Amino acid sequence: MEQFFTIPYCVLEVPNIKIKKPSWLHQPSSTTVFAIVLLSYFLVTGGIIYDVIVEPPSVGSTTDEHGHSRPVAFMPYRVNGQYIMEGLASSFLFSMGGLGFIVLDHIHSPLTPKLNRLLITAVGFICVLISFFTTWIFMRMKLPGYLQS
Amino acid sequence: MSQTYTKKSSISKLNSKAGISSLLIFVILLLAWIAGFSSRLFAVIRFESIIHEFDPWFNYRATAYMVKHGFYNFLNWFDERAWYPLGRIVGGTVYPGLMITSGSIHYLLHLLHINVHIRDICVFLAPVFSGLTSISTYYLTKELWSKGAGLFAACFIAIVPGYISRSVAGSYDNEGIAIFALQFTYFLWIKSVKTGSVFWAVASALSYFYMVSAWGGYVFIINLIPLHVFVLLLMGRFSNRLFTSYTTFYILGLIMSMQIPFVGFQPIRTSEHMAASGVFALMFAVATLKYLQSMMSKSEFKSLVIYGGLIAAGIVFGTVVLLTYAGFIAPWSGRFYSLWDTGYAKIHIPIIASVSEHQPTTWFAFFFDLHVLVATFPAGLWYCIKNINDERVFVVLYALSAVYFAGVMVRLMLTLTPVVCILSGIAFSGLLELFLRDDEIAKPEESGDEEHTTPKNRKYDKVGRVPKMKHELNKEPDGIGPNIRTIISVVILLLLMLFAVHCTWVTSNAYSSPSIVLASYSGDGTRQILDDFREAYFWLSQNTADEARVMSWWDYGYQIAGMANRTTLVDNNTWNNSHIALVGKAMSSNESAAYTIMTALDVDYVLVIFGGVIGYSGDDINKFLWMVRIAEGEHPKDIKESNYFTEQGEFRIDGEGSPTLLNCLMYKLSYYRFGELKLDYRTPAGYDRTRNAVIGNKDFQLTYLEEAYTTEHWLVRIYRVKKPDEFNRPRIPVANRLVKSPNFVSKKSTKRKRGTLKNKPVIVKGKRLSSKQS
Repeated sequence: MEQFFTIPYCVLEVPNIKIKKPSWLHQPSSTTVFAIVLLSYFLVTGGIIYDVIVEPPSVGSTTDEHGHSRPVAFMPYRVNGQYIMEGLASSFLFSMGGLGFIVLDHIHSPLTPKLNRLLITAVGFICVLISFFTTWIFMRMKLPGYLQS
Repeated sequence: MSQTYTKKSSISKLNSKAGISSLLIFVILLLAWIAGFSSRLFAVIRFESIIHEFDPWFNYRATAYMVKHGFYNFLNWFDERAWYPLGRIVGGTVYPGLMITSGSIHYLLHLLHINVHIRDICVFLAPVFSGLTSISTYYLTKELWSKGAGLFAACFIAIVPGYISRSVAGSYDNEGIAIFALQFTYFLWIKSVKTGSVFWAVASALSYFYMVSAWGGYVFIINLIPLHVFVLLLMGRFSNRLFTSYTTFYILGLIMSMQIPFVGFQPIRTSEHMAASGVFALMFAVATLKYLQSMMSKSEFKSLVIYGGLIAAGIVFGTVVLLTYAGFIAPWSGRFYSLWDTGYAKIHIPIIASVSEHQPTTWFAFFFDLHVLVATFPAGLWYCIKNINDERVFVVLYALSAVYFAGVMVRLMLTLTPVVCILSGIAFSGLLELFLRDDEIAKPEESGDEEHTTPKNRKYDKVGRVPKMKHELNKEPDGIGPNIRTIISVVILLLLMLFAVHCTWVTSNAYSSPSIVLASYSGDGTRQILDDFREAYFWLSQNTADEARVMSWWDYGYQIAGMANRTTLVDNNTWNNSHIALVGKAMSSNESAAYTIMTALDVDYVLVIFGGVIGYSGDDINKFLWMVRIAEGEHPKDIKESNYFTEQGEFRIDGEGSPTLLNCLMYKLSYYRFGELKLDYRTPAGYDRTRNAVIGNKDFQLTYLEEAYTTEHWLVRIYRVKKPDEFNRPRIPVANRLVKSPNFVSKKSTKRKRGTLKNKPVIVKGKRLSSKQS
């Protein structure tokens, strides 16, 4: 056994260097991991890949009856199309809703005082509700017959 | 949860409680199954029990063939009615799992003398399997988190639109059963990682075999499981359990997957599968090192790791490169490339980019298919990352990769949906646990939770959850009041209710149309059924010769073969790009150039879909640019995409459209005699309702083809290709004619417009015909 792994050293001279594990390289904490995950989730649900491939404008524009061009935020009736800003806005809402649910979970922690719990609950709840209803409104803009017929 | 606090109670109480909780679980799963099944029946109730869309028609045809001729004949089936003149070896180019599943159900039912037609089995297969999917999702989530989360996940997946879109009644496709196989394989894999038993590993390999036989998406499993193992190794979570389960799973799964004729030697030859074998080798390396570590001193071990690792990595890398270079390992396939390099398909493989379900996903699709789950998904992920252990690493990786793939292709929302359901189940059960809990049982539940989520043998867990200190547990205050708690739980329930409403609405409005029978609703709510497709296919099957060859764009190949039973040139199995490009070239050239291609391919009939009369947007003119693009890919000298645009770069069919477009075969076949048709009083003649324009080329005749049949709403138009003697007959001078025509000189001249009839009885005025009177 001894000879077996000293064979290379008959030919090679052991270089006199020390390789240190870089100090920044360690297993990331769960919060960091989650932050990265949430960021990528935000980008993907916002259709960033669609934006890269199709290259839509950030905001669309239309001409009204007076001949002025007005910006349009949503590409209506087109289920498979979007403008960049609309995608980012709605994926922001998705992530906000997600964060709201996570914040709601924080009342779990036994160390927070009672008032903070109430505040946390309120904040989390408002996040969830706002994100939900705004997305609802977005859907109605995108698909005018949504939940109607 | 109920399971955990029964531990504390007495034996009899335990029995009754366990009984109630398992009864509850059974009832809830049963209800989920029934709900999932019935919400998939919209299409059957509104229309009839019919196979939908395109691919299901091939699956149905193959299943019917297998039931009729037996399994081995099916495996050896050479279909000469597809891809004329090449034919298709069906047995070697399908995933037979779907056909075998419904074939064996058919066989079993007939053994019991329940005589169900194979078509009905095919129609209802996917809804039935959705129930199995929700049960396997329940088990998977139970392994990952808790029973309550599992029940939530099962209910979610039963009705979530992302999964319903592929499994409504009548959509008889591979995905319908594959999602069940996927979830079940993952469940068994998690189970085997947790227990380290060979039994569960073998079971998961068997389930993987079923998945391989059912769907090409098995590649996702064979990359995700090695990724899981690899990340566990990186995190320093190597264990003997992991070693046993992975090695067993890999070897058995590899051998069994090679039994499917279509897969064949791919698992050892293509790059998509190389990650699995690499991790397999790595697993052995790590295990050997762990073993040697126990026998050596630290410094010896260190140098061994460094040199051995370097040499081994070099050898492995060199072998892979060498084998790839020598052609033993195939490089990545194009479809796989397009997942990573998102622009790849657009440039190199127009045929992949042309399919609408291969488009990248917009935000709308995420919300449409997942609704509130899209927001709870990060919350569930957060729960999993916070309380990480071996199996939760798996679900985190599954979630990340599935999100990415779903972003690249709309179609892969399907693989995202199950993991979203799992994680949302976890999130909802976590939340409701907080808010629905009664105060007096709060404490036992808390400690029970700790016990439940921590497996007994966590020797190798280094970053596991730190158990709560006892004093923290005890001084837990009341927290928020019961009122707020009630309000919050009610609102959460309301959200869930809205989710159910959304799911039903989406299912009924977006995902339940068979797409071969169209329905339109008039203002007063009455429904009009447009059955043009079946009308045309029925005409084909009745009025054409049995061996007649029908040319159409590849979308309709399976339907023509399935419903009309005629030979097609190209179909939805797009394996031969150059053949498709040839058809595309014929469609996009002018009539005479197209005729040479059509005679070379022995075409008898040409079928085009035209939606201009009823405003159907999925017709051939709207798909036309893809035909041009695909044809240009193979014949860049003859077809140029830029010729089909106007000077301003627009695609227009009206008078300003480019002359190449206005004279190509597809245009002429779509709009032949359309210029004479006036749809209503407000619009001019030849007004195309789909593209909202008056067509540019109204008055033309067809030389080489003749109209054979046009359906009621002009949706399908069929043309017969004339034989060479029918149109280019040279005129023979009267003197040389063998059959003399009777001498007849027309009396019509420029002055006298009226013609005369030959042998017309001459009427003399003022005289009665004597014979008639008497």
